[in-house]
Amino acid sequence: MTKKRLLVIGSNGIGKSNLLESVELLGSLRSHRSSSDQDLIYWDEKSAFLKAITSDKDQIELELRRKGGRKAYKNEKIVTRQIDLIGPLRCVGFSALDLLLVRGEPSLRRHWLDRVVLQLEPIYSDLISRFARLLRQRNQLWRRWQDNADEDFEALLDAFDVQMALVSTRIHRRRMRALSRLQPLADAWQKRLSKDAEGLKLHYVPGAFLEEGEEELRFRLSIEKQLFSQRVEERRLGSCKIGPHRDEIEFLLNGVSARRFGSAGQQRTIVLSLKLAELELVGEIFGENPILLLDDVLAELDPIRQLLLLEAVGHKHQCLISATHLEAFEGDWKADSQILEL
Amino acid sequence: MLRQPEEKIKAFADALLKARNQVGQCQKCFHLTAEKECEICKNNSRDKTKICVVADSRDLLALERTREYKGSYHVLGGLISPMDGIGPELLNVTSLVERVTKEGSLEVILALTPSVEGDTTSLYLAKLLKSFVKVTRIAYGLPVGSELEYADEVTLARALEGRRDI
Repeated sequence: MTKKRLLVIGSNGIGKSNLLESVELLGSLRSHRSSSDQDLIYWDEKSAFLKAITSDKDQIELELRRKGGRKAYKNEKIVTRQIDLIGPLRCVGFSALDLLLVRGEPSLRRHWLDRVVLQLEPIYSDLISRFARLLRQRNQLWRRWQDNADEDFEALLDAFDVQMALVSTRIHRRRMRALSRLQPLADAWQKRLSKDAEGLKLHYVPGAFLEEGEEELRFRLSIEKQLFSQRVEERRLGSCKIGPHRDEIEFLLNGVSARRFGSAGQQRTIVLSLKLAELELVGEIFGENPILLLDDVLAELDPIRQLLLLEAVGHKHQCLISATHLEAFEGDWKADSQILEL
Repeated sequence: MLRQPEEKIKAFADALLKARNQVGQCQKCFHLTAEKECEICKNNSRDKTKICVVADSRDLLALERTREYKGSYHVLGGLISPMDGIGPELLNVTSLVERVTKEGSLEVILALTPSVEGDTTSLYLAKLLKSFVKVTRIAYGLPVGSELEYADEVTLARALEGRRDI
């Protein structure tokens, strides 16, 4: 790349998102699109291979195999720890899917927040996958043993409660911490983008009652108790009602729910503020500005918001931008950009 | 295999068949054995007041290779996993409780993997046994000889969790 900004232009299905996704994959070792490597490898191929050379002259390579197992290399040396690979290509993605962040399903907001936490603490991925597995096992337990609930059944539920309470506590706290770090940044961006008309509050509505204070044990025991006391209801509904899988994040504009009462334009501005806050937070923590990946999203913004985003990003961040038509961009975006037509 | 002489292949096949027919499970601990009771259960110099619970015979062999443990074992035959239809009734749990009460064990050591299924099984067994015997669990930590810097975060976090006074 010869310039800070790269516009990738091409018709649908030609591979624009692929290019951006490969940068994301090399930078974070995960894709926002899929959690399975199988989905990332071309049909009928046994493996996929990615290679990037950074401006610091680092050469990063990643090999995905259909049979499973990844191999990563940095400067031709095999790398076994995630941490050694993540860093040179740290990036923040912004896709058309994110535009639904405010009014879409709560799971979209949870995934967004999880991606932020993962940037801050890679170990979080272990907690998330552990919780998902616990939940699946627990729901299966209900399905299989519901008809002959005996002493064993209760004892097994107890065993799940203990683990779920611990993992839930840790997930809740990390999500809470990440939100409180994003809060001031997002609010500042919202004020700037709305010319001081709107304040933004990120309100965490946890899927369990959380105790005040910092002590983990009290937190945990309280969730254990809640899990226990919802069992009658759980039996009736067949699913667990307590935990981070029921978390919700509310966006309040001047104290009012933006999901319910915000205009379409306000909702888009909130998404912009959130992404800019994420970009700033990641940059702040790692002392280096992350790469911004704008996948088919810039053209979705009206001219005013395009310009606001351009102004906000400035020349601080390297940007990879994909779109079907060059005409969709405001003149200022095109100027000073490298254009790649596929 | 095609290039090998026929007798060799035949001997190999016979050995496999023999193993298939002869190897069974120990009546006491469910470890693999060709006899009624396995070598470990028969060995009188082993400490029978301690029972180490493992998921399968491979885990038992790994522990044996350390030559550190002198107690007896109990092979569960798997881990509790509702997703795979495995509940406690499909594992050698009842026999474990019977052994503990009959043999007057003093300690049950749970040596199961720290996965969701392993932890569920450990917690379940602990609850079941803890009223009449001391139940402990092996610690999870850093492999010896590995430098702290090279340990992954999950291992480090678990090691930190299982820390103790020195």
